Amino acid sequence: MTEIIRLLKFFRVYRRWIALSIALSVAAIAANIALIATSGWFITAMGLAGLAGVAMNYFTPAAMIRGFAIVRTGGRYAERLISHEATFRLLAVLRTWFYERIEPLAPAGLQAFRSGDLFTRIRNDIDRLELFFLRLFAPAAVALLVSLMVVMVLWLYDGRIALTQFGLFALAGVLLPAAVLRFGAAPSERITERTARLNMLVVDSVEGLAELHLYGQAQARAASLRALSDDIIADERRLARLSAISQAGVGLAANLAMFLALLLAVPAVALGHIAPPELTMLALMALVSFEAITPIPLAIQSLPGTLASARRLFAIADAPPPVRDPLEPVPVPQQGDLVFEGVCLTYPGAREAALTDIDLRLAPGRRIAVMGPSGAGKSSLVGLALRFWEPSRGRITYGGVALDRMPSDELRRRFSVVSQHDHLFTATIADNLRVANPGASDADLEDACRIAQIHEFIVAQPDGYRTYVGMNGLKLSGGQARRLAVARALLKDAPVLVLDEPTEGMDGETEQALLAAVMKARSDRAVLLITHRPVRLETMNEIVRIENGRVVR
Amino acid sequence: MSFLKAQKPFAARYLTLSVALSAANGLLIIAQAWLFAAIVAAVVVEKRDLSGVATWLAALPPLFLARAGLAWAAEYFAFQAAARVKSELRARLVSHVMKLGPVGLAGEATGRIVSAVTDAVQMIEPYFMRYLTAVPLVAILPLAILVAVLPHDWLSATVFAVTAPLIPLFMILIGAGAERMNQRQWRKLARMSGHLLDVIQGLTTLKIFNASRSEAARVAQMAEAYRRDTMTVLRLAFLSSLVLEFFATVSIAVVAVLTGFRLMWGDMVFFDGLFVLMLAPEFYMPLRNMGTAYHARMEAVGAAERVVEILDMPVPGSPSGTRKLDGGRGCAVRFDGVSLIFPDGRRALDGVSFDIAAGERVALVGPSGSGKSTIFNLLLGFVAPSAGLVAIDGVPFGELALDDWRRRIAYLPQRPHLFEATAAQNIAMRLDGADVDREAVRQAARQAQADDFITALPRGYDTPIGEHGAGLSGGEAQRLALARAFYRDASFVLLDEATAHLDADNESLIGRAVDQLSRGRTLLAIAHRLDTVRAADRIIVLDHGRVVETGSHQDLLARGGTYAQLWSHSREGRIEP
Ligand SMILES: Nc1ncnc2c1ncn2[C@@H]1O[C@H](COP(=O)(O)OP(=O)(O)OP(=O)(O)O)[C@@H](O)[C@H]1O
Ligand SMILES: [Mg+2]
Repeated sequence: MTEIIRLLKFFRVYRRWIALSIALSVAAIAANIALIATSGWFITAMGLAGLAGVAMNYFTPAAMIRGFAIVRTGGRYAERLISHEATFRLLAVLRTWFYERIEPLAPAGLQAFRSGDLFTRIRNDIDRLELFFLRLFAPAAVALLVSLMVVMVLWLYDGRIALTQFGLFALAGVLLPAAVLRFGAAPSERITERTARLNMLVVDSVEGLAELHLYGQAQARAASLRALSDDIIADERRLARLSAISQAGVGLAANLAMFLALLLAVPAVALGHIAPPELTMLALMALVSFEAITPIPLAIQSLPGTLASARRLFAIADAPPPVRDPLEPVPVPQQGDLVFEGVCLTYPGAREAALTDIDLRLAPGRRIAVMGPSGAGKSSLVGLALRFWEPSRGRITYGGVALDRMPSDELRRRFSVVSQHDHLFTATIADNLRVANPGASDADLEDACRIAQIHEFIVAQPDGYRTYVGMNGLKLSGGQARRLAVARALLKDAPVLVLDEPTEGMDGETEQALLAAVMKARSDRAVLLITHRPVRLETMNEIVRIENGRVVR
Repeated sequence: MSFLKAQKPFAARYLTLSVALSAANGLLIIAQAWLFAAIVAAVVVEKRDLSGVATWLAALPPLFLARAGLAWAAEYFAFQAAARVKSELRARLVSHVMKLGPVGLAGEATGRIVSAVTDAVQMIEPYFMRYLTAVPLVAILPLAILVAVLPHDWLSATVFAVTAPLIPLFMILIGAGAERMNQRQWRKLARMSGHLLDVIQGLTTLKIFNASRSEAARVAQMAEAYRRDTMTVLRLAFLSSLVLEFFATVSIAVVAVLTGFRLMWGDMVFFDGLFVLMLAPEFYMPLRNMGTAYHARMEAVGAAERVVEILDMPVPGSPSGTRKLDGGRGCAVRFDGVSLIFPDGRRALDGVSFDIAAGERVALVGPSGSGKSTIFNLLLGFVAPSAGLVAIDGVPFGELALDDWRRRIAYLPQRPHLFEATAAQNIAMRLDGADVDREAVRQAARQAQADDFITALPRGYDTPIGEHGAGLSGGEAQRLALARAFYRDASFVLLDEATAHLDADNESLIGRAVDQLSRGRTLLAIAHRLDTVRAADRIIVLDHGRVVETGSHQDLLARGGTYAQLWSHSREGRIEP
């Protein structure tokens, strides 16, 4: 229920559009009912007039029939345009909204999620909300309005017909949907969950394709993907069966309405309470007015799945950011010492602290190498300095100001970072580089790439800097990808350069050349070099060794 | 389009059933109209009361029930038709993606594949469920109604007969441009999907470069572009619906008015007039349904194109043969004049020849892009050579049963993938949740120096592993993947920089474990750093896709060639910490 209210709130911006589309829809359906009912009345009256040999005013009804036909078609068209326009606008807005919600969570707050799952939320779950807006909310309003109108009109002629019609409306528009909801909720929700799982597994499989084949899991994985897909289809089948029942049910109710109208009106005609042309009119009106009810059971059926999607979106949108920006931020100093004072870090759920009592000072222009065994906590220092995580104890300052008093993206401007797992985007080399600096000129790119020892390689490619980097940069070897990441970091002009194992996967020659070139080209920068290989350390001012999360000197 | 048609056989039986049931339902509609007209005419013209029309009235409820039953079944079978195709198509997509392997898929954004497997297949549903069921009915029902109407009222029958063909005509006119737009919309959707997944995976990187906020603008722009294209397509669909509805509704109005006048002039009996009026909407109904479904068809065509694109991607690997190798532990590898040219013209290997004896330990050395990984991909069967021969124990690679061959390999790629599973499952590579041999897993983890940190994880070996090892340090993720290679009792060990991301202590411990692992087995290791290759029996030096030197460390140093040069570089500037 709360999800429904929240979804409706999103639509507030478009409430005028929606009101208009509801009004148009009511007009279109009412016009259709009127068209058929008037036609029935008209030919009956004309037939009787013909038999009696009297004249009648046929201009008005004939004009009305034509008028209704036009309102019907035009109204339908305009309504569709408006409602779809509003809905798709909203979906586009929602996608951006969702992106803006997950952005502050990364990386700490998103660690528990697989990218395939997040992707499903921003793609499929948001798409599914279309159903809520287009198929449920407006049609329900329309159904309510039209059925009230119809019952009122019928009431003018015969109370009993109006009441039976009301009952049948309630049956088809409330009871039937309620039954559908009861039986359809579980499969509908399952489809939402399983679609996410399917997407996630596809991503997982595509990225781990080599390992799947090698460990004889490719067949099994394909089979489980198929099974998952078939599970989804089985649930869709359950829903299809239900919707077939509800569609047939609404049709049956419409026919019954006509039948009961005849049953009640025929004696009334004999008694003279109802004029003969009105018999045709009432019976047809009873029948055709179910057009307004038809979409309801179907819409209700998709509701649980749609709400499940909404919940999946809100679950992330509502997650508190792992690191909060201060309410009254202090400007970030241009330059200054990066200081760790007695810093401890225990990752959530971890049994042991990753870092304990770290004291470290990186002054402008100084170079520190951080060494230590795998898992010692080296990269955790970077996460802390960038304020992706917050220390459990102790204080980190930049230029004398505590990190938690500064806006974190402003803070990150002071750092140029090659992280241990830099992502290369499926885009051209140049685009990947310009992530660091959108305004960089081609000459800038080349400079950076020369320093990173990758320029030669790039220009040897047929498309040079416009070479497409394949799926997650896979077409590049590990060492090439690493060098590209270094080049990218160099393009960002920041006083502190952080290199987390920048030369991993490179041969010794390249490693030497790269480190030498970087140190030379960025001789004025403070450097924090994380490495486990004692290369080029003579250019460092200080070597810090970390073991088991502690500094050992 | 032809692709969609080719899928029809999967659904044919259900489609026929569904259409037959709908046709029967349509015939009952004629009966219903007849009864209704008869009842009203009797009451209105002959002034009969309820008892006078009781028999006709009594016929109605069973008719309604029959119609409801038919409608239900028709709808259900229509779904079944689509379900068969969807299931089939997804299975084919998945198996083709598997067949393509990492080499065949490289360059395709993961998000695009995801959107083909889930969304595109889903979009094909309405084509089978709605369009293919609607089309035959257009030929059947209006004709049946025309036949029913003609004896009663030739004029209305003429109105029907004249307007009916106009409707498809207009639709085709409008639909002409729509197909192209649909395909464009699909390409946008695929692009958006690819981009969104990429952005999500690279969110941290974007944040590091303060680009994540500006990326929001890109996301907005893409979402907006997708909306615009969707709406362009929809506007056309709505326009064609408008035309349809216009013709149908106006025709009904015309029939009503014409009938009315003739009734007044006494040119027609009342029953006939009412009967025709009742059937007028039903006459146009199948046409209208087809009009709505026409949009579904176009969407499906766009979606199918995505599916075909993937199904048409060429499989670079060699198809599996049937020969199995004998049980022995080591195996001999032979490359004879092997060249590999990628479809885009890149020459990855150029006449590479070498022999590796069973039980030999060989290191591959060479600058980035010299062809080391390609040799691995050839040995793993992910790509077939353009020329030359690869043979294992004398058996040409193409004749090998791939599954059996791969089972003999322990492989550590440069960037190992950690699956959505627990640590233990990732090591044993039992992703389906089957039981794993705990002791063997721990043994492998110990050899890979991974036991300590795995035990320290929140739930030990049962801790779910995050994507790309989120929650682990770089070296820990590497060691976890290494444990996977140790877990396997392989006869051929392929290592691509086994000790990446590792410190000296771990490196030497793991080096020793690798020594043990490879004892009696054939080992081929890619080394980016030369310290790790000294122990190899032989070193093959590659450059630009060619073998430039082979020999032991000492031999190569003595020769003073490429290797010696590489070696001296790697020693420069090195100090002990
Ligand atoms: N995001 C995280 N969530 C939970 N635990 C983490 C996370 N990142 C790292 N850890 C744990 O914290 C410890 C220190 O990790 P860190 O990445 O800082 O090590 P490292 O020194 O960089 O190692 P390596 O040389 O292998 O990269 C490890 O035990 C690791 O398992
Ligand atoms: Mg690290």
